[in-house]
Amino acid sequence: MTRSIIDVHILQTVPPSNLNRDDSGSPKTAVYGGVRRARVSSQAWKRAVRLAFEEYLDDADLGERTKRVGEAIAARISGLDPALDSRAAALAVSVLKAAGLLKKEPRKDKPAETDYLLFLSHRQQQRLAELAVRSAHDDTTIDARTAKEAANTAHSIDIAMFGRMVADVSDINVDAAVQVAHAISVHHVENEFDYFTAVDDRKYDLQESGAGMIGTVEFNSSTLYRYATIDVDRLHDTLGDPAATRRAVEAFLRAYALSMPTGKRNTFANGTRPDAIVVHLRDTRAINLVGAFEEPVGRADDTRGRVAQAARTLAAYTAEVHDAYGERPAATWITHVGDRTGALAALGTVLPLNELTEAVGATIAGRIGPGR
Amino acid sequence: MSVLLLRLAGPLQAWGTRSRFAHRHTDVAPSKSGVIGLLAAARGLRRTDPLTELLPLRFGVRIDQPGEILRDFHVARTLDGRTSMPLTYRHYLADAAFLAAVSGPPALLDSLQQALSRPYFPLFLGRRSCPPAGPVSLGVHDGMLRERLATWPWQAAGWKQRRQRGHPAVRLEILRDAESGDPLTETAPDQAVSFDPRHRRHSWRSVVREHTDIPNPAHHPAPGHDPMDVLEGWTCS
Repeated sequence: MTRSIIDVHILQTVPPSNLNRDDSGSPKTAVYGGVRRARVSSQAWKRAVRLAFEEYLDDADLGERTKRVGEAIAARISGLDPALDSRAAALAVSVLKAAGLLKKEPRKDKPAETDYLLFLSHRQQQRLAELAVRSAHDDTTIDARTAKEAANTAHSIDIAMFGRMVADVSDINVDAAVQVAHAISVHHVENEFDYFTAVDDRKYDLQESGAGMIGTVEFNSSTLYRYATIDVDRLHDTLGDPAATRRAVEAFLRAYALSMPTGKRNTFANGTRPDAIVVHLRDTRAINLVGAFEEPVGRADDTRGRVAQAARTLAAYTAEVHDAYGERPAATWITHVGDRTGALAALGTVLPLNELTEAVGATIAGRIGPGR
Repeated sequence: MSVLLLRLAGPLQAWGTRSRFAHRHTDVAPSKSGVIGLLAAARGLRRTDPLTELLPLRFGVRIDQPGEILRDFHVARTLDGRTSMPLTYRHYLADAAFLAAVSGPPALLDSLQQALSRPYFPLFLGRRSCPPAGPVSLGVHDGMLRERLATWPWQAAGWKQRRQRGHPAVRLEILRDAESGDPLTETAPDQAVSFDPRHRRHSWRSVVREHTDIPNPAHHPAPGHDPMDVLEGWTCS
């Protein structure tokens, strides 16, 4: 059987920004190679990807993570049969109970809430609603096995990618097929403080001196190495549909390349595009190339040509790892901006992002096949 | 007996053995249950599958580069952003490198090594957002776990080795399964019995802490200090 794993490596420069902050408002950091680096957590970037999916995927392919699943299903029941509107909330409760997703009776006049965030695909919500409507029409109780099955097939693409853990109904867990690493800067950073004053417009008119308020915003700027890997075979196991798998892979590539966590976006207007994207298709295992940047790129005070240096370092390290371990990717595609990242072009086929995602999608389709 | 050696390194790792609720801790070294889980994932075992074959494996780890603890603050919200979930604190080990050793029957270790080079499920260092940097397996070797851990070359990063260049050898800590006859042990709830989410179970593991001295490949002795060198050619008369 052909194994298919897609590794995505991205170099991306962000100007002064605070994409992802900790509980004291500082941009997150981590030490690597003995020096402090800017860090954006995997969770922050996965959320950005999930939000971007709404642009690239059909609603039916997606899911919703909510505690208020009762409300969602009741709305679908009313949509399927408006005559059931008055009973919709109660029907939603009974179908969720049958599926084992709801343990306690909702409080009076409150919509049914699960104890935890429940990640159901829109298709799964629809099928649960259909079950409830059918039971109301036939005046039968809802079969627990059918309800469980409805909640456990037709997974949405985002569930198949990022996984679902349901604390007390373990038979509907889904293991994630995508790993996203924390993004870290390829160089040393120290967080900096921006001291600001805000002027009170009315006092200004009165020619009174002094600020209305003062404060600081913490930030850093960095060239990030971002890495994610898609296990296409495991994704296909969960989705059970080659066409959906291809759509998922293509949407992920676009969304991961173009999305960015929204932290302090309006303060810093830091929305950039990646400088370079390298996609490896592998048939053995995923390889994270972060080791290229264990020795930080450039001195802290030398920012000239940092991206070019990072691109050269990544290109050289990729070749070294491939040589040392006899690992040859089955295919490599690159999207890059300008000459500075030209060193990466030698690794594979250079294409604009849209064509790159299509090329990857077509190759994946050929490997998982329509029938398998 | 043979020994399968693994290099566990990456910007972040997390090896929790006693986390509950909103604080997700990490130990300072890879846990046995974590590494058994990694091997099980490589093999394609599901959480609900029995771990029969992997349970008798013996385990030890050497702390080649201790790294530092990173506390990560984590919020979760519903996709519409309206509902916030409990805040959690996740602890990671940043910038660490370990030599882990697993000993057992040679045939089993060979198959595990193959599985690591073509894993069925994606591998990660304790938490899914922590993919390993570079390949994990250092191969299957003859001998005893203790002696391999005591003698295998230092796995720390180049910068770390160079920072110690004045020292011909470094003292590294080893945490390994206790054998009969080991006098002093500590225990941790770290012997995986089942990863099945319906009845996840760990029993107690007896651990021995010991040290080994490993040569530093970056050792570069500073020239001897002799203040009379500058007077080369001069003599007192």
